[in-house]
Amino acid sequence: MRRFALRFLRSPEGMVGLVLLACLVAMALLAPFVFPRDPLSIVGRPLIAPFTDASLPLGTDRLGRDVLAGLMHGARASLLVGVFAALVAVAVGTVVGTVAGFAGGLIDEALMRVVDAFQVVPAFLLALAFVSVTGPSLPVIVFAVALGAWTGPARLARAEVLSIRERDYVAAARAIGMHPAEIAFKEVLPNALPPVLALVSVIVASAVLIEAALSFLNLGDPNIVTWGSMIAEGRNVLRTAPFLSIVPGFGLVLTVLGVYLFGEGLVEAMAHRRGRQ
Amino acid sequence: MSSFLISRRSLLQGAASALVLQGALLSALPSLAHAEDAPRGGRLIVAADSEPRNLNPAIVASNGVFFIASKVIEPLAEAALDGEGALAPRLATSWEGSEDGLSITFKLREGVTWHDGKPFTSADVAFSAMEVWKPLQNLGRIVFANLDAVETPDDHTAVFRFSAPTPIQLIRNALPVVTSVLPKHLYEGTEIANNPANSALVGTGPFKFAEYKPGEYYRLTRNDAYWGEGQPKLDEIIFRILPDRAAAASALEAGEIQLAAFSQVPLVDLERISKVPGLKVVTEGYEALTYQLVVEINHRNEILADLKVRQAIAHAIDKNFVVDTVFLGFAEAATGPVPQNAPEFYNPETPEYAFDIDKANALLDEAGHPRGADGTRFALRLLPAPFFSETRQFGDYLRQALAEIGIDVQIVANDTPAHLKAVYTDHDFDIAVGSPVFRGDPAISTTILVQSGIADGVPFSNQGGYANAELDAIIAEAAETVDTEARTALYNDFQRIVAEDLPLINVAEWGFTTVASTRVVNVGNNPRWAVSNWADTGLTP
Repeated sequence: MRRFALRFLRSPEGMVGLVLLACLVAMALLAPFVFPRDPLSIVGRPLIAPFTDASLPLGTDRLGRDVLAGLMHGARASLLVGVFAALVAVAVGTVVGTVAGFAGGLIDEALMRVVDAFQVVPAFLLALAFVSVTGPSLPVIVFAVALGAWTGPARLARAEVLSIRERDYVAAARAIGMHPAEIAFKEVLPNALPPVLALVSVIVASAVLIEAALSFLNLGDPNIVTWGSMIAEGRNVLRTAPFLSIVPGFGLVLTVLGVYLFGEGLVEAMAHRRGRQ
Repeated sequence: MSSFLISRRSLLQGAASALVLQGALLSALPSLAHAEDAPRGGRLIVAADSEPRNLNPAIVASNGVFFIASKVIEPLAEAALDGEGALAPRLATSWEGSEDGLSITFKLREGVTWHDGKPFTSADVAFSAMEVWKPLQNLGRIVFANLDAVETPDDHTAVFRFSAPTPIQLIRNALPVVTSVLPKHLYEGTEIANNPANSALVGTGPFKFAEYKPGEYYRLTRNDAYWGEGQPKLDEIIFRILPDRAAAASALEAGEIQLAAFSQVPLVDLERISKVPGLKVVTEGYEALTYQLVVEINHRNEILADLKVRQAIAHAIDKNFVVDTVFLGFAEAATGPVPQNAPEFYNPETPEYAFDIDKANALLDEAGHPRGADGTRFALRLLPAPFFSETRQFGDYLRQALAEIGIDVQIVANDTPAHLKAVYTDHDFDIAVGSPVFRGDPAISTTILVQSGIADGVPFSNQGGYANAELDAIIAEAAETVDTEARTALYNDFQRIVAEDLPLINVAEWGFTTVASTRVVNVGNNPRWAVSNWADTGLTP
């Protein structure tokens, strides 16, 4: 494990990703302390340009809301959606994949057709349809994003399980009379998990983007500030106050980049370990 | 008292002594007082942001339809910038109400032909009124509710007979909107709602309907047989479909289109675009199309049923901030349910609610809603109408404004169908941001916002469960008051009571803007310009 951590830290991608993510998490955690007021509250004249007012370093938007407060609180929304959507997607996906792979036969067929059905619909359209029917709020958005993301983990988990279930230790577990469900979730699933976890970074990154896109289309939760909604607001004044779109846009780019690089570093470190085995 | 059409122009012409204006005299005059002499010819390309499925203005009296259809199908009269009647004659040349309010006589213009060559007669008016306006049209249903019959003593006279006294003031104010005349010979005996002429329009207007390419454009061409002398000026009008608002601004700058109306160019871009050489920003031409920004209130909510709470909300809203920041100055702070640019009805003596946080807080304390440990008094759900970016933005502002006085507001964002259903059918809201239109007479557009007993599901009406017997009585009385002064006085009371009792809170009123190439002349020269016939609009080389 220590070697694994060392190898991760030695990869430049992983390090950059880690630093970016750490900054993001720090922003999200510090936001309520640095800006205890509602980030949507009106604090100054509208459309103050960035770096002109020391108390409002990144300026204000069309209603006079602090852009820096929005940026920091927006990190919370992005992070929350990303992490929870990935958790839900991986949890649902691995369970479905494990059951399908381990049970085989008709159950496998049925579950995999469901996976196919979800996979043919683009994840964003699925989320769009779901949110526009149920109405936007943060839990709904998390669920909507997970809806399009769980199929990847499911297929990967199933493929792993198919190979693992033929291993000797699984046969041994059967021989000592363990219940099939116990074998599936205690013996097989933990060993099928690592490659699935490599998918997490991809899911988090796409979840952040989908959330931003939904907010951009006014389908985000209107009561919290998100980067997507900030960009959408800024788009109206793109020609006169481009910083309103650029600032949260940078936030998005760096977040997605950080998550990808972090994932890349993880995969690399893991590949080394696997190669050794 | 009978009322007659007297435009300022006719007064200036020295015709003041004549109470009944002769059709011949009027038809000889250009219909617009401010008409500039425009050159002949040219093709005007206009941005259109929607493609109405039914283009028939006699059935769907809405601005989206009028924008295109008003050039082809004409009403009996059009709104004019000044003059007592504030009307300019179109297919009718004069109108006169009887003393008892039971009949109105229209003299119709002679020598007018339909685009297919058939003559226009009183039979067309009678048919349109009885078969289309009264039974099928969204607004005509209200205005002509008591219309019994239309008599046609000759080809150029139509006498409207009502079963109950109908105020001439109401009919007059409604003329531009509800009286688009359809050709009887194309509609008689057919299923009117599905007639092919609803999309391929046939009218008497200055332009003929030539072509419609879905998703691309509508094309209108000059009607050489138009009755207006020397009109129309343009050879062709193309309505290019540009649903994306940002696209309209760049198309104007690139010279691909010459005109974008109805604020197709967003307010925030106006300052920049007004400096672009060759383009002009015109704010005139929407005086009779005033939108009102209102806070709709669900009186079923026990907290909001208390007048003090509603007053507190009114005091918490900084109307000037809304005008300056949300509307960038292209609006006016409202004082009551009738906008200030409707001088015929506007009553300036209504109670006002100055922006005063302390007073709002005091009112809420008095009403028995002390602040809790976290500083909030109670929570409300706010549904901002998604129709305009301004209504959404005002929703964001309102949430913050009410947070200042300890009301925790949760915004519920919906798309248009879901918003209409939630507010006007399911009543699933506490407060909502709405944008009703003032259509020239309170009876057409405004009374419905506070009147009780309206069926669930009627959009843009009182669905907040508000009931005030005094207001209902005034509305009912005004509906039957034929005398113009007495009727106006009733609506003055109406405005005072609405402002006192706050069934809804009027925040601001705004019109639209037009951005046009400086080559386009006679832009915005009547109060419904964007939805008028553009007969005098021209294009300089």
